[in-house]
Amino acid sequence: MAGRGTISGPLRRHGHLALAALVLLVWSFSSDDWAGALFLPVWVVATQLIVAGSLEAARLRRRAWLGQYLRDDSPWRRWLEGGALMVLRHQLVGALLALVLLVDLRLLSLAEWPLLLAALPALVLARHRLRRRLSRHVVAEHLPAVTRRLLVAPIAALLALAMVLAALWLPQPWLVGLGWEEAITRHLAAGEGGRLLGLFERLAASAELTRQWAMQNAVERLHLATPVAVLGWLVLLLTQGAVAWAYVRLLVGAEALRREGRSPRRGASDEPAPATDRETRP
Amino acid sequence: MSVSGEAVTPSAERTPTRASRWRGWALSALVVLLLLAALEAGHRVLETRSQAPLYRVIVAGESLTLEAEAHAAFSRDLERLAAEAEATLAARMAPWTEARLAQAFAPLEAAVPGYLDWYFSLGGSYLRLAMGLAGDQAAWLETQRQRRLIEASRIEAALVDLQAAHAARLAREQQALMEAMSATLLERYAPRSVSGAKTPVVAPPTIDLDGRMDEALLTTLDARRWQAAALGGSGIGLMVGRPLARRLAAGAVGQGGRVALRALATRLGAGAARSLASGGAAAAVTAPAGPGALMVGAATTAAGLAGLVGGEFALLKLQEARERPALEARLFEGIAEARRDTAGALGLTVSAAAERLAAGLEAPAGESEPAAGEARPEAYRILDRLGLTAGSDV
Repeated sequence: MAGRGTISGPLRRHGHLALAALVLLVWSFSSDDWAGALFLPVWVVATQLIVAGSLEAARLRRRAWLGQYLRDDSPWRRWLEGGALMVLRHQLVGALLALVLLVDLRLLSLAEWPLLLAALPALVLARHRLRRRLSRHVVAEHLPAVTRRLLVAPIAALLALAMVLAALWLPQPWLVGLGWEEAITRHLAAGEGGRLLGLFERLAASAELTRQWAMQNAVERLHLATPVAVLGWLVLLLTQGAVAWAYVRLLVGAEALRREGRSPRRGASDEPAPATDRETRP
Repeated sequence: MSVSGEAVTPSAERTPTRASRWRGWALSALVVLLLLAALEAGHRVLETRSQAPLYRVIVAGESLTLEAEAHAAFSRDLERLAAEAEATLAARMAPWTEARLAQAFAPLEAAVPGYLDWYFSLGGSYLRLAMGLAGDQAAWLETQRQRRLIEASRIEAALVDLQAAHAARLAREQQALMEAMSATLLERYAPRSVSGAKTPVVAPPTIDLDGRMDEALLTTLDARRWQAAALGGSGIGLMVGRPLARRLAAGAVGQGGRVALRALATRLGAGAARSLASGGAAAAVTAPAGPGALMVGAATTAAGLAGLVGGEFALLKLQEARERPALEARLFEGIAEARRDTAGALGLTVSAAAERLAAGLEAPAGESEPAAGEARPEAYRILDRLGLTAGSDV
């Protein structure tokens, strides 16, 4: 029983994270036809996950602001609490972010996926530690939300750093000495062009090729000194951070979406046991 | 961040009901659908606004102007034909190669009975015996095979001729294949060519298939010439001569000494063989002790030899009757193996030529020129390059 618990327990508790990552992984490596067919549902799922996380964070922020400045009995509380407008804005931004994430994931090589998958346990561990630290300071009611909110930045930064290092190490197509058009025509896979997803993929791929082309030629032609070259590469590669950021937000959103139905322990002891982490379905 | 926990919020807000959760999903789907529709519309507008690109292709002297779709089909057809080139070329070359190989190896096969006659003749057998006693029978036999089989049959010259003829034939077949491909493509795509009624402002990108074919042919020919020069007569040339002689002894080489001893044993009788073997053994064991021991071994051997004169011829005939078929089979087997190897080497040449041809055809036209000067690296690894530049700077 204990042996089963050690394996199935974490899996059940964090299955939603694994599921989200697995869906992205399978989708990003499926064939073009399948990916095109599943594009819409996957986009919806990713949007919803990202929105769930960002809405939670936004509501937290808004509530803090309201609590700071408004009287308890003011009707403004209800109006400003965040309604349709906020939801719509976050949905829109979330959809765009999800689009960027999905298209970039399609272009990611297999070698970078271990990093993305390693982000899952890192996220869970970091959440545990942060939660234990925060439990002595943060109101129990808002503990999970605050934990999640504080979690995004460090994990995303770590993941972005790891991905930048991987990009430094991974091979790129050799573009030195080619004209930009030549580089694009030679290395951009000629798609059929009908699908919207294909268009996005080509756009993203050509953007990436342009970055690589510019930096490779700059480094080789101008004989940049190593520190300058490294700095240039890092700046260019930091756009990879967008993927990491969106991905972590998606994971945190999945976490928020699953946990949000859980009723927080009101008036619990000032040190919540780790068991509070466990989901208690109503 | 300080969050005031006293904020009075309706509990329904914090713990959303199932309905509100579904509402969130539905809203997400709606937003995504709207975005998708907008982007799709934009895509369509862009597509209709942009002019359909035209491509110009030069095939078999004719210049065709193809629309994007026809051009894609053309490229696919070209790729398919290029991929089939290897099989086609091999099929075209196979009967000719087979016939020429048989022709080239016929003298060698014809020389085998003569060699066997010598092998089992009185003089030959004594020479063998003498060399067996002297110790380097295997090398000597190899020399004999070299002289009596290989040089006598002049297989070496025949194979060199064969190789030259093969190269010429291959070039001819390649040319014919290219022409056939061009003809096929022209026949298929000439009707789909857009007439020059609406010539675009920008000159369409041109693919000169003729030029590319010529180039591909040139590179394959060059590569083959270069290879032949580097190897001093390519793979086949290397096989002629000593290695072939050794191959003919296939199986016998390793056990040459023991076979010689056993053959002697049948002739010398059991006792003599034992003395011979023990003499050899004594020589071997006591060799470090000095020339005296060697003398002992030589003395026993001489005694054995002296007893060997009578009945020699009959024994030789007996041995021939027993061993000739096996030896003959071995020789023929070796020849067949050498022939298979030669055929394999020629086949490799064909497939390598076809591969280069296909690569030359499929590669974009501009790619071959920088590749000719220096090999372009495949991948760019930032860390490696930075390490390199750092090394050269210092």
